[in-house]
Amino acid sequence: MSAADLTAAPMAAPPREPVLLSVTAMAKAFGPTQALRDCSFELRAGEVHALVGENGSGKSTLVKILSGVHAPDAGTIALDGDSGADLRNPRAAQASGIVTVFQEVLVAEARSVLDNVWLGVDSLLRARVSKADKRERATAALAELLDRPPSLDTAVEDLSLSDRQAIGIVRALLRRPRILILDEATSALDIETRDRLFAIVQRLGREGVGVVLITHRMDEIDQICDRITVMRSGETVGMLARGEWSSQVLVQMMTGSDRLTEGARSQAPGAEQRVGDVVLEARALQLAPGRTPFDLRLRAGELVGLAGLEGHGQSEFLEALWGMGSTAGEVVRIGANGEAAVRSPAQAAAQDIAYVPRERRRDSIFHWMSIRENFALPTLTKDRRKRLLSTAAGRKRLDEYVEQLNIVLGSPDDAITTLSGGNQQKVIIARWLATGPRVLLLNDPTRGIDVNAKHDLYQLLTRLASEGLAVVMLSTELDEHIELMDRVLVFREHELFREHDRASLTRAALLASFFGEEGDADGDRSAG
Amino acid sequence: MAIAVPVRGAHSSPNVRKLLRTYSFGFALVLALALLIANLLTQSSFGWTEQLATFAPLAIGAMASTPSIISGRGGFDLTISPLMTFISILFVSWLVPAGLGGYVAIPILLAIGAACGAINGLIIVGLRVPPMVVTLSTYFIFIGIDLKTTPTPVTLQGNWISDFGGSVGPIPGALFTILLPLAIWGLLGLVPYKRILYAVGSNDATAFSSGVNVSAVRVGAYALGGLFAAIGGFAITALVSSADAGTASSYTLVAVAAVALGGTSLAGGRGGVLGSLIGAACIYLLQSLLNAVQINSTWLQVMYGVMLLIAVVFGAALTRAQKEAR
Repeated sequence: MSAADLTAAPMAAPPREPVLLSVTAMAKAFGPTQALRDCSFELRAGEVHALVGENGSGKSTLVKILSGVHAPDAGTIALDGDSGADLRNPRAAQASGIVTVFQEVLVAEARSVLDNVWLGVDSLLRARVSKADKRERATAALAELLDRPPSLDTAVEDLSLSDRQAIGIVRALLRRPRILILDEATSALDIETRDRLFAIVQRLGREGVGVVLITHRMDEIDQICDRITVMRSGETVGMLARGEWSSQVLVQMMTGSDRLTEGARSQAPGAEQRVGDVVLEARALQLAPGRTPFDLRLRAGELVGLAGLEGHGQSEFLEALWGMGSTAGEVVRIGANGEAAVRSPAQAAAQDIAYVPRERRRDSIFHWMSIRENFALPTLTKDRRKRLLSTAAGRKRLDEYVEQLNIVLGSPDDAITTLSGGNQQKVIIARWLATGPRVLLLNDPTRGIDVNAKHDLYQLLTRLASEGLAVVMLSTELDEHIELMDRVLVFREHELFREHDRASLTRAALLASFFGEEGDADGDRSAG
Repeated sequence: MAIAVPVRGAHSSPNVRKLLRTYSFGFALVLALALLIANLLTQSSFGWTEQLATFAPLAIGAMASTPSIISGRGGFDLTISPLMTFISILFVSWLVPAGLGGYVAIPILLAIGAACGAINGLIIVGLRVPPMVVTLSTYFIFIGIDLKTTPTPVTLQGNWISDFGGSVGPIPGALFTILLPLAIWGLLGLVPYKRILYAVGSNDATAFSSGVNVSAVRVGAYALGGLFAAIGGFAITALVSSADAGTASSYTLVAVAAVALGGTSLAGGRGGVLGSLIGAACIYLLQSLLNAVQINSTWLQVMYGVMLLIAVVFGAALTRAQKEAR
């Protein structure tokens, strides 16, 4: 390739390698959600370029566009300076040299290792690589990545999760990519395989391949990356070269320093005045096999936040409190009549534990039903008048919550889908409050709702807590934890990594825990 | 040599499971052999030529139903049975009177069968409608066309196709029609298509992101089913020496039962045409046995159901073992 005579990009001087890929002003919306607004990205030959950002910042959308899975609404993609690149579908993208390992472990379970690593290379009626070549190259690639490579004829469903992910990586490597994208492809790998992968990545870099690495792990970034592009809310907010970054700088760029001042608090009464007796207790709870078990006591009137990088066990913990499978240990509800174990969602409900699931549209909303029906479903027995169901009674009950929660609606008999996301969420919360819970579990309730609705929710939760309700809320927003919670549990690799009380609740401290940094002293304000 | 390497991450008895997975028609095979022996014992004159001719439409119908099921995502083709009759009618009522009743009819009818299957596939892939709904609609359309064009059976006389119902030299003619789909399926193994079809059926998201043209693979599966159905059309014509719209729906559900019995996963990605053939043999031989020992034929349906249920439970036990290994 005559790479040297390509025009160098005007911006950065140090990396002199030619630009392989440049993305400018990319935008993409899915329905009402603007996943990317103004995204720019540049990849040079031979570099390992990290793409970082909070959950939902648009990294995966960008990757899917580059891989030919989605088409962008606006913006240009130039490959080797040519903006006419064909990225209509994954096949076209791969023909252009862009090969991606996706976050999901993508394998055809029923097929052999050999079939899986070569999937998509052949055309339907003609093999592009001979059988002997396939076996030889697959064996070599597997041996480079895995210490104990599986036989080529093993069905993939017989492999461990780490090996399955490795199969996906080998599939990509065998394409001989010019641009390799690893979208959290290391998350399922065991440590040893990950190290071997990084050695391969560095070798590819020396051979002039450009590698895009998406990861939530600071150690991985420090280990092999040359540059970092930071994304926030669908925009690229900056690019850093090696030596310019630290986890603190990254965190600041990822979260946006303009949002809230550090430690800004609502004026709710202090936890000391509200917190009462223990209502729920987790004993020796283990979230995944081989992880350290832990105990937790939840008191009436307490607001507890669950935080951590996506998929580090906080969801599992919340569900365990609701009676859904943990690996070991038990959850005990402590009420006026003594103790009782919580072993199923039905038992949880019977013991006044309410759960608001994460996926509102999928798990909470009956989209063909009215607002009132959505609200009243689990508590319909309260609307019985003379053994018949009274819609008037249900409407009356709903009215109370409409006022309390500030729900903006036309008529209670309108379809629930006529409401905004925030108001839908309020209706769902009202649904569970109507059951008279003593413990309220919320799974990221403010995801995708507007700022005002969020503030209404914060006020509501604070008030409920002051009335003696125990609230446990998983949130992916740092500011929510800092503004709202009495204490925040940070989960890491399916263990309780750290507990922050109000005194040590700062954005920097939380993020340091997310990335597994111990901090200077126990529970202090070190990073402030 | 493959088995020498211990399978990592697998649970108990991986080799047994692997064996059952590769030969998922094992249950059906044992059952079919048992039923065959029972048949031979109870019927002093088991006329092979005649029995095979009667068996052929069911066997081919089952094999024709298989590729679409393997292609996954609820892949299903209800039109196989009426399509077989449609091919039979095309031959007897159109090609023969038009002077195309010779061997030239074979490529014409095979092409028409494949095209009909491809149309189903194109609608399913293009409109993203569940295959069950699409092929149920086309099922009724085909039955309507069959009845409209041939309100009364049209007899065929002195045609080469009758040999498929009789014998070619010493060989039962039905063997040709039964083995042809099997041979085509086997030959397909020489090109990448079949492997890709199984991969698509196993996990279409993986196949798509790996650059496979998933739509083309699926349409191909339905076309292949249509092609096999055309061969089934020959078998029906040979069996009844006529074109009869009354046969249009005869093999619809029983063919699907044969596929399931033969170890093909209705979720896609596993199984094969040979299994369906063996599954069909079970159903046919059971029917034949009940006739021979003069059990009231109303019990037949009950027996089908019980047999299918056992086979499905057997298959589910396999799938569960696979999930646990995850």
